[in-house]
Amino acid sequence: MRVVVADDVMLTRQGIVRLLREAGVEVVAEAEDAAGLLREVRLAHPDVALVDIRMPPTHTDEGLVAAQTIRADYPQVGVLVLSQYVEPSYAMRLIQEYPERVGYLLKDRVFDIATVVDALRRIGDGETVIDPTIVSRLVRRRRREDPLATLSDREQQVLGLIAEGMSNRAIAARLYVTERTVEAHVTQIFQKLHLPESADQHRRVLAVLAFLRA
Amino acid sequence: MARLAGGLVGPAVGLGALAVARGPGRFTTYAGSSSLAATLTVAAGLALVAAGLVTSFSRPAGRIGDLAVLAGLVWFAPVWVGWDKGPPMVRSLGLIAGGFTFPLLLHLVLAYPSGRLRGVVARTLVSVVYLGAVLTALGRALVRDPFFDPDCWANCTDNVFLLHSLPRLAHGIEVGDRWFTAAAAVALVAVCAWRLLRDSGPARRALLPVALPAILLAAAVTARAITLARVSLEDPSEPAFGWSFVIECTAVILLAAGLVWATIRMRVQRLAVARIITSLGQAPPPGSLQAAIARAVGDPELKIVYWLPDSQRHVDANGRLAAAPIAAPGRAVTVLVRDDRRIAVVSHTAALPDLEREIGAAGRLALENERLQAEALAQLEQLRASRVRIVETGDAERRRLERNLHDGAQQQLLALSYDIRLARTAAQADGDAPTGSLLTRAVDQALVVLGELRALAHGIYPAILAEAGLSAALVTLAEGAPLPVEIHAAVERRYPEGVETAAYLLVAEALDDAARRDASHTTVSVVGDGGRLVVTVDDDGRDRTAAMVQLADRVGAADGRLTVEPTRLRAELPCA
Repeated sequence: MRVVVADDVMLTRQGIVRLLREAGVEVVAEAEDAAGLLREVRLAHPDVALVDIRMPPTHTDEGLVAAQTIRADYPQVGVLVLSQYVEPSYAMRLIQEYPERVGYLLKDRVFDIATVVDALRRIGDGETVIDPTIVSRLVRRRRREDPLATLSDREQQVLGLIAEGMSNRAIAARLYVTERTVEAHVTQIFQKLHLPESADQHRRVLAVLAFLRA
Repeated sequence: MARLAGGLVGPAVGLGALAVARGPGRFTTYAGSSSLAATLTVAAGLALVAAGLVTSFSRPAGRIGDLAVLAGLVWFAPVWVGWDKGPPMVRSLGLIAGGFTFPLLLHLVLAYPSGRLRGVVARTLVSVVYLGAVLTALGRALVRDPFFDPDCWANCTDNVFLLHSLPRLAHGIEVGDRWFTAAAAVALVAVCAWRLLRDSGPARRALLPVALPAILLAAAVTARAITLARVSLEDPSEPAFGWSFVIECTAVILLAAGLVWATIRMRVQRLAVARIITSLGQAPPPGSLQAAIARAVGDPELKIVYWLPDSQRHVDANGRLAAAPIAAPGRAVTVLVRDDRRIAVVSHTAALPDLEREIGAAGRLALENERLQAEALAQLEQLRASRVRIVETGDAERRRLERNLHDGAQQQLLALSYDIRLARTAAQADGDAPTGSLLTRAVDQALVVLGELRALAHGIYPAILAEAGLSAALVTLAEGAPLPVEIHAAVERRYPEGVETAAYLLVAEALDDAARRDASHTTVSVVGDGGRLVVTVDDDGRDRTAAMVQLADRVGAADGRLTVEPTRLRAELPCA
């Protein structure tokens, strides 16, 4: 797994790079702003670019813009946006246009480097990754007539894992059940929530997130 | 007293002149040439005297009236010159005085309406014309013996002042005076025409009744000079002389009528101003005084600014900063003073020479009241501006703090935690279990602190608000709210930063308040309505007791309006 790391704060960037290397990930280049990132992606053609959401010069959404540029120009390069914001809007914006090979994780997630490595692998496989903290915030949201109340605990669990971008197989592995059981849960969930079931994995993530935010 | 005397002497001089014209001056005066000429002569002179008296008594500030009375008396001089076999002294004096009629009228016209000569051109012209008249009078008195003047007609015998007869010089003086007067008349026409073209509106309207007769008069004077150049002997029975005399008389009568008309108009105006000021009542809305005075004096461009001695600046009636007016062509500036203090500065048409009197004591009192009102409004405006600054500074500080937390403390803590994480791996690799579990606890604590820091930063200022706008920020707010929030009609467009921040903080505060009052759910509606944003938050909690003062301050700083009801908050935020 070859990655490029972009973060304008040197200390943080170095920490991430060391943790990744320790976990056996090959960091081929580092960048401290969006322009540098795009240059390194063009030169190094990594599998995934890890991008800080807030970078110079305006320190607003450079990371998201760069992520979209990479996804548009280099379809084989995945993007994992690292952020300190528990902000579903950013995650939605990231996956809206190019839901494949992208992920949005909180920077704290890097402590649990195995999760990051897993996310990098999933992105490399073409999946979508959304931080569990964001998903659980959306699932736990207070609703007046809560449609989620009609779901069983297990179904809620599956819904959350769908929103995190997991495939049926990954969900089955996580919950120690068969893939067929997961499929049955998914069908139930989509029926109860009146969501059109989609064969497309990425559209499924978008639909569930949009439902949870509505 | 002098004026009263002038008023009495006028009719006497006039009637005497009439007697001379009908008798011994029958062949030596214009007035004697026909009964029309006699009537016009007397009417013109007496009209000037009368107009002068009316003007001077109602407007003591101006010298216009005095000039008119004097011109009216001098007007009869040619008749006295033609008193055949009359006292030589009277005839000689008449000869000298007669030369001053036109200079006096020219002075009068140029000094109208204020009585003061404005501008270098007018002052120079009047001085030169007086000087010319004095030199001519001296020449006529000292060196002209009428007996040796081949062109004499009105008086060919008497000059009691004669020092030494110099017929050639005397003739030269007559010819020079003739052309000099004609040139002065042309200059008068030019100045009058220029003033009429330069001024507009009320200034021009006020100028017309004096300027038009003056132009007519100048034309008659010029016509006579040209006729004299062709026919050196002056003869009233010659039609050219006769007609120019009739026109001259008519012009003088019209001029006198114009003066009287202007005076009456001024009085009527003054009454109107007084009436309007009285009708304004106790507390007229700001600016109504200016409108009322402008209407009363017929000058729509009239502007009043007030002087605030404390802050040393001029403001309008609404308390807004205004430039001190400056005089311009056709526009005059009057500083109004009450009890030795400057209250107001008024820019008005130059056709109002004496605005202070126009406005009167009642007007000054009304102006002083409006000045106090303007001062209060100006202070209010200053307070408002200062509140806006306080809120803006606070918001800017919030954003700065959020950014500092994000880029500073949060990043530092992250980097530190990454290091601890690496240290733990190293300890575990070395088989140092106690250190490993200690470092695991440290990482867990760091995670908790990071979470708290993140919540703190978001509470100080949500970055999403600046980046994605109100709708996105409200959705996030609802997702983290302690109770169900329904958001309706969220707006997509961006609004000014201050408006978005005010709306966001209003909703955030309202949600917290609803939760405190045990509401089970809230409804947030945000509607963009023309030039304003209307935010409404409804809940089903207990009745609200807090006054929400801080929200009212913030909404007020955005020039908006907050309505606080038991279970509803509504803010209108202008966002033009």
